[in-house]
Amino acid sequence: MTFNSLQFLVFFMVVTLWFFRLKNQKGRILLLLLASCYFYMSFIPQYILILGGTIVIDYIAGLLIEKNEGRTRKAWLVVSLIANIGVLAVFKYYNFFIDNIHAGSLFFGKPLTLPMLKIALPIGLSFHTFQAMSYTIEVYRKNQKAEKHFGTYALYVMFYPQLVAGPIERPQNVLPQLKEFRIYNWDNVKDGIARMLWGFFKKVVIADRLAMAVDRTFSHSHESSSIALFVGVLFYYFQIYCDFSGYSDIALGAAKVMNIKLMENFNQPFFSKNMGDFWRRWHISLYSWFYDYVFNPLIISLRNMGQAAIVLSLLITFFLSGFWHGAAWQHIVYGLIHGVALIFEYFTRKQRKKLFAKMPKAVSNFIGIFITFFFVVFTRIFFRAENMQAAIDYFKGIFSFSGGSNYIGMNRTEIVFSVFLILLMLYREKVLPQYFISSNKRFYFYTIAMVVICYFLGVFSENQFIYFQF
Amino acid sequence: MIKKVSRDILILFGIVALWASTSRTAMQYISEKRNVDTWWGSYQCLNGDLVSMSYLDAVKKFNQPNPRTGFKQPVYNGVRNTALYLVGDSHTWHVKDSNFVRLSSFYYFERIHGGYYHLDTTKRNILLIEISERYLQSYFSSLQMFDEVYDSSTRKKNLSQESLPRENHAQFASVFPSFEATDLFNKYINQNLQCNLFNYNFMMPMFEYKAALNYYVFNRASGDVVISNDRQFLFYKETVSKTDEGSSYYPVSKESESQIVDVLNKVYDHYKAEGFSEVYVSIIPNSATIMQPDGYNNLIPDVQNDARLKMKVIDIYTVFKKSDQLNFLPGDTHWNHSGKQLWLDVVNERLRKQ
Repeated sequence: MTFNSLQFLVFFMVVTLWFFRLKNQKGRILLLLLASCYFYMSFIPQYILILGGTIVIDYIAGLLIEKNEGRTRKAWLVVSLIANIGVLAVFKYYNFFIDNIHAGSLFFGKPLTLPMLKIALPIGLSFHTFQAMSYTIEVYRKNQKAEKHFGTYALYVMFYPQLVAGPIERPQNVLPQLKEFRIYNWDNVKDGIARMLWGFFKKVVIADRLAMAVDRTFSHSHESSSIALFVGVLFYYFQIYCDFSGYSDIALGAAKVMNIKLMENFNQPFFSKNMGDFWRRWHISLYSWFYDYVFNPLIISLRNMGQAAIVLSLLITFFLSGFWHGAAWQHIVYGLIHGVALIFEYFTRKQRKKLFAKMPKAVSNFIGIFITFFFVVFTRIFFRAENMQAAIDYFKGIFSFSGGSNYIGMNRTEIVFSVFLILLMLYREKVLPQYFISSNKRFYFYTIAMVVICYFLGVFSENQFIYFQF
Repeated sequence: MIKKVSRDILILFGIVALWASTSRTAMQYISEKRNVDTWWGSYQCLNGDLVSMSYLDAVKKFNQPNPRTGFKQPVYNGVRNTALYLVGDSHTWHVKDSNFVRLSSFYYFERIHGGYYHLDTTKRNILLIEISERYLQSYFSSLQMFDEVYDSSTRKKNLSQESLPRENHAQFASVFPSFEATDLFNKYINQNLQCNLFNYNFMMPMFEYKAALNYYVFNRASGDVVISNDRQFLFYKETVSKTDEGSSYYPVSKESESQIVDVLNKVYDHYKAEGFSEVYVSIIPNSATIMQPDGYNNLIPDVQNDARLKMKVIDIYTVFKKSDQLNFLPGDTHWNHSGKQLWLDVVNERLRKQ
């Protein structure tokens, strides 16, 4: 059940109305838990067992971590981490490793034939395993008390608005809200619905429209002109933003209707002045996760190595973040390139500061935003391409400045309209952060207008959200 | 009070809508009841299934009438000693025994429903499997899937149930008795919800405005329908998307083709052992395969010409390739009247040679 489906709209209406109908918190937790199970099972029903298994392990591990000290405490954390990473390793990374073992054995002239798994990746696996790990780590660090109520803990992992594509929450933020009886608040309902509508707009009107051009250029890269390929990857940057931030808007809005506040995942990443700034604005919940649980511990443990500690920590963190996105070399390369860019920024920070100090602020800001923007655009090729070779071919296609088909899957009117929509989206998020819903009349007008616009201008082809695959 | 009642009505409405759209039995019941020509009746487009899916009734070039009858009555004066068992899909709906030569009896099974048979050993029993290209890979990629559909050895052979007319397969006595757990996760729930909540005659102008906007402003069709490169045809997206295995442009590996041949051989062996005199397969090409052949994955010729294939082929692909007439409907996934007539001619030619 994707957010951009009729099934979700009806499901959301039923669950939310029922949520406020119930007068006790236990009933609400049970309702949300059942609803979340149904939501998850609507993708592939059997995979609820995997999710259920890790929830049980992490729940028990949390209790035992809290109860014990010393080695036993650590041992239970390790059990929890192994369970979560083990599930990821089997379902997401096993075939990648086997594939590389095959390639390696062929290279050394001793071909091995190991069995591949023919299984679909459970939807949102990387998201909910990371959220589960953040719970046991926080309990281990004594920043969070272990949750005694199994249903509440299970709901922390399974809360349907953020179950399959985040934000990757922290227990300190969500668990207290799930335990508390949330009072119906009309202002929150209005804000939540308005935000959901904006998310739908970004997904069905912008992202899925741009997807037509992106899919076309990436699947016809050999016959497309350099300009077409450039436009394709440029559109991809906006597509993935509107797709993922649109999902996050719907998730945050759906939770807010129930008076639950989830963490923000995006903060106008197109206006980042450098790569460090970019990673504080893009997929914030994932990169704060890596910062808290990978980068910081690494820096601390390597502190005797001086500047090499920063280099190593950044490379390892971004290697892992690339690998988190997908079990493929192009994702690893994508992560590493960003890691190298951050290392470059670290070592040149003084020179850049001096250089920019000589310029008017507006100019230095513009240069920073321009360079960061196009750096991200071009590295997105690795993120989108089917494999490394396809990514390299795409790069070659752009920089060969050759002719070829300029067709990008849409006519000129739609290209111009797409650019208009992108500018509208940027203007709306940068300059007009409010939803124009100060009064009820405005809210009803806004709702009707957005529904009509989403219907008539939306591209409905049952496209899943891009980040569901991670 | 009004708010509470409204809330409860909405909850109930939502649950009923979800249930009705996920239960196959309920959907069958609803669709039968709704096939009424009233303002609240369901939208029924007679201009082609793709026109219907994309709501492009207003674009006349995609609308072409397609008579279901009026096929040539083949001339044959010889002995009628052949029993033809045709397992087909929507391409062969409405075919009758009079469309074929040499037949003493004719049995039609729709592939998705299967059927029972009891061979008359005094006759020459011919099994003809007609399958659309877009289903070829999914049906014949594994034998298990095929068995579920119509392996007679797992079914009770019952003369009284053989050769059910197609219409009889779709009858349901009641909404309630056959709800299955798997219905909860019906993958067509969104289409069903759209059908139940919005697909009414009085809502059609809204759909048509959106379709017209897309067509006239952005030069494209809505939803699962794609306009051909020459803009003269509508194609079902599944048959032209490079990521769908039913597509004419989906990259098919040699292994996959070989697997299809293996399964066809097993099917052939099975039905020969059951007593059929001959087993034929006829793969009906996607309209894109014939009308927009650039980039075609060559699935049909590769399978049909595989030297290991035991099953006899009724080759309509080559006939369509050579034909200089239009054999597909511009706004439909199916062949047109002359395309079907060509297929009947090829089948009859084969029956004559038996």
